[in-house]
Amino acid sequence: MKKIKLQKLLFYGVLLLMTFIYIGPFLFSLSISFNAEQDVFSWPIKLIPDEWTLDNYQRVWRDLPFGQWLFNSIAITIVQTITNVFFASLAGFAFARLEFPGKNIIFAVLLGSLMIPGIILLVPKFIILNEFYLINTYAGLMLPGLVTVVNIFLMKQFFETIPKDLEEAALIDGCSYFRIFWQIFLPVSKPALAAVAIYTFQGSWNEFMWPVIVTTTRDMFTLPVGMAFLKNEFSVQWPLLMAGTILISLPTLAIFLFFQKYFVQGVASAGLKG
Amino acid sequence: MKNGQNFLAFIILAFVLVASCSPPGSDTMRLSSWVSSPSETELYKQTLANFRDQNPDTDFKYEPIPGNYSEKLQLMLGTRTAPDLFYLKGMTAPSYMSFGILNPLDELIAQTPDFDVDDFYPFALEAFQLDGVQYGLPKDFNPYVLFYNKKLFREAGIDTIPTNWKEFEQMCTQLTKDLDSDGKSDQFGFIVEPSVEMVMPFVYQNNGHFQNPDGSLGITDEPFIEALEFYYGLYQKGIATIGQDQGVTWNGDAFGREISAMAISGGWLMPFMKDNYPDVDYGVAPLPAGKRRATVAFTTAYSMPKSTKFEGEAWQLLDFLVGKEGMSSWTNTGVAMPTRRSVAEENGFHEHPIYKVFMESAEFASPFQVQYSERGFEEVVVAFQAIFFTDKPPRKAMEDIESQIKKYRLVGSKNN
Amino acid sequence: MKLTAKRKEQARTAYLFIGFPLILFLVFTFFPIIFAFYISFYDWNLLIPDKPFVGLANYFELFQDRVFLISIKNTLVYTIGVVPIQTLLALVLAFIMNQKLRGRAFFRLAFYIPAVTSSVVTSIIFVWIYSKPGLLNYLLSLIGVEGTDYLTNPGTALFAIMALNIWTTSGYFMISFLAGLQSIPQTLYEAAKIDGANQWQQFWKITVPMVRPVTYFVVVLGLIGCFQVFDQIYVMSSGGPVNSTTTMSYFTYNNSFKFFRLGYGAASAVVLAFIIFGATAMQKKYFPSEAY
Repeated sequence: MKKIKLQKLLFYGVLLLMTFIYIGPFLFSLSISFNAEQDVFSWPIKLIPDEWTLDNYQRVWRDLPFGQWLFNSIAITIVQTITNVFFASLAGFAFARLEFPGKNIIFAVLLGSLMIPGIILLVPKFIILNEFYLINTYAGLMLPGLVTVVNIFLMKQFFETIPKDLEEAALIDGCSYFRIFWQIFLPVSKPALAAVAIYTFQGSWNEFMWPVIVTTTRDMFTLPVGMAFLKNEFSVQWPLLMAGTILISLPTLAIFLFFQKYFVQGVASAGLKG
Repeated sequence: MKNGQNFLAFIILAFVLVASCSPPGSDTMRLSSWVSSPSETELYKQTLANFRDQNPDTDFKYEPIPGNYSEKLQLMLGTRTAPDLFYLKGMTAPSYMSFGILNPLDELIAQTPDFDVDDFYPFALEAFQLDGVQYGLPKDFNPYVLFYNKKLFREAGIDTIPTNWKEFEQMCTQLTKDLDSDGKSDQFGFIVEPSVEMVMPFVYQNNGHFQNPDGSLGITDEPFIEALEFYYGLYQKGIATIGQDQGVTWNGDAFGREISAMAISGGWLMPFMKDNYPDVDYGVAPLPAGKRRATVAFTTAYSMPKSTKFEGEAWQLLDFLVGKEGMSSWTNTGVAMPTRRSVAEENGFHEHPIYKVFMESAEFASPFQVQYSERGFEEVVVAFQAIFFTDKPPRKAMEDIESQIKKYRLVGSKNN
Repeated sequence: MKLTAKRKEQARTAYLFIGFPLILFLVFTFFPIIFAFYISFYDWNLLIPDKPFVGLANYFELFQDRVFLISIKNTLVYTIGVVPIQTLLALVLAFIMNQKLRGRAFFRLAFYIPAVTSSVVTSIIFVWIYSKPGLLNYLLSLIGVEGTDYLTNPGTALFAIMALNIWTTSGYFMISFLAGLQSIPQTLYEAAKIDGANQWQQFWKITVPMVRPVTYFVVVLGLIGCFQVFDQIYVMSSGGPVNSTTTMSYFTYNNSFKFFRLGYGAASAVVLAFIIFGATAMQKKYFPSEAY
């Protein structure tokens, strides 16, 4: 009996240590972001500031084009989330429920494209957008990510689990396929749609490589790109930087907290079937 | 079915509207610079405000470029999103000029009778010429000089400034101290930086070159290696420190915190000190001499891209910024030295106790310009890092990259 | 007659439904693949209008370019170091989360936070942690060890970034494993318990084999991710010091968008793509998924 208790204690001890490793860095950056002293590199470092302030958060807003970057990030994320949910479910519906010539080949080719490493597309995509004068525009930032194959795949998988008799009655009544999709399939697909939406939201919000290449002026930066540049520019002002990183992290964290269930489902189903 | 098509069409239309609503403003002229200290930015904005007051009809947008300036500018030039007027570093000017992407300025200069191009110091003008064509007009220059902390000098019992390498090394030793007696030095004589620009003054003082006058590569020649060994030796002997060891990002910061008693920098250190470390009492002196007196001078010019749609407006602004009035207002805090002889004379730069050090240094300064692409610089920086961070012998490090760097020699003007 | 009309309508609808994504993929995925090969045969500089055909010259130059060879080595070290550890760690975390324990939702959230946070944010935080007067050295100093500046020391920089990568992705893959674990019938464990197997034996004898399909998926995703690591390198070290963190994707980026040699950059991306294909194919051969 005693042995089991000790084991349990040890188990929780290890668990707490692990937890600390995973969230500790965020807690410390939170603590630095409230530090009134700009010089946090005095040794030995202070994990808890002597003097607390909200000044760093104010400065992020006042001294940096944070508002503009926030606007860009929000615009891109919202547009990409909406288009992904809409077009991925529409295409997923077509692949799951409609018969048309070339269906299997097209789907196989799409799935195959998942194996293509993104890095090989980088230079050609850049040159194509440059030919269309789309570098440093919202269109250039958004276009390549409007729909992704993974999302189509997720939606197709989900729609295939919906029983056929649900739509058959509607078909006999002469409903159009779009109405079947819109009025019958979508309402019962909320978990899958939510998974796609959350996935896309997180992906767009955090995307770094593409915006860093496609934006050239400061007013077109997204938040991650802006922060990466600030890191170079204000790298001695850690409290300011940390305040910025905390602000960027909040939206994804909030969404994750509220929709945890769907998130986990999405990752899980992608994992099992991929 | 109809319903669905309408809806689809609506979604696509909505997207197109959102996507196309705001490409970056190409309806006004844009001006770009890199970002420096807050007080420098303030000063620059003031100069620009003066222009606006005098030319209310010429509208322009000021877009500073944070981060890696050269890289971003290059990307902008290649994607036709470049600003209509921008800073051009003297160091990168040869490659930009050879690409044929800059707007020649000779005609504009000729059309502006009171521009007085002969007023500029020739060395500054020549840095932005290729085959006799002027591609940029120098707004200012800045030689490297020696900053020294008067208090720390006094504490170490030093009442002179170093005039040659031997004295310099000696003073570094005297100024290096273990203040809290924990067995490790926490005050150093000097701070080094593994970059080409920082090593070059010592190379020039030792009669060496990065690229010899005959065009050959000089980095494995004896004078270059000797200078590099001397510079690295200061760090190796523990009488100089390096930014990474102290958690500072640049030399000026270490100097301000009194971690190093001396630092080599251009005039930009002065506004930085005023903003961040106003209490540090420092002096400015010409660099100590080696076999000869030498230093590196940086010049920056304004240039326009060939593709600009605002040539007239951009010239108007350029004319103001490098004109006598604009240059006076920009250089009067010593952030950089004027490139016009008349401005320097009228504002007493030769008599001012600190500025005159910069003006005197200009007499024996060389610009750092070589005919190699950015990749070549990168290789040298990497080799320097290997020396400072992995104790690779300087001679070996330079020999290892010599053949690689030769490949990055610019072949000159490729088109027309 | 009616049937074919219906079929036709169905097909028309289907094409309309998949039309937009298809056009998008054509322009931004399928055409660029071919185009990437095309560009790699040219000396393609955006600043110079003249783009001469150079045949295989870019590829020949790549394999004589010391930095490129270093980048291959770094990428392999990175991948071989990160993938097994993060996979095992993710599995262990999932195994723990699958036990009956108090505050499971909290712990799951804690392990998952790094994975949902922007890579730029985690990189910036770790730049601070890894710096000479930073958190890691502070903790080390408590036990009397003096550390170095991890990101400017060529001996440690790559490993420091690898550790960060393991930290961020293990929580992500934990969720994948968790789903796999939940599909293992409890009866298996109960039978094992009757046979007197302890927790470790249960883990190795039941859990590990049963989640093999998920493991396959996690390893493939891990491989693809590690081979293309970019964000952390860009923010934390810019490939330095002494090229010790120059990975292949950073090499591609640097040559394409910093030195502006797009043809050369495209060629290096093509080589990287082939290496990734080779690695996944090898994995398929020697470590087959039994899910199919």
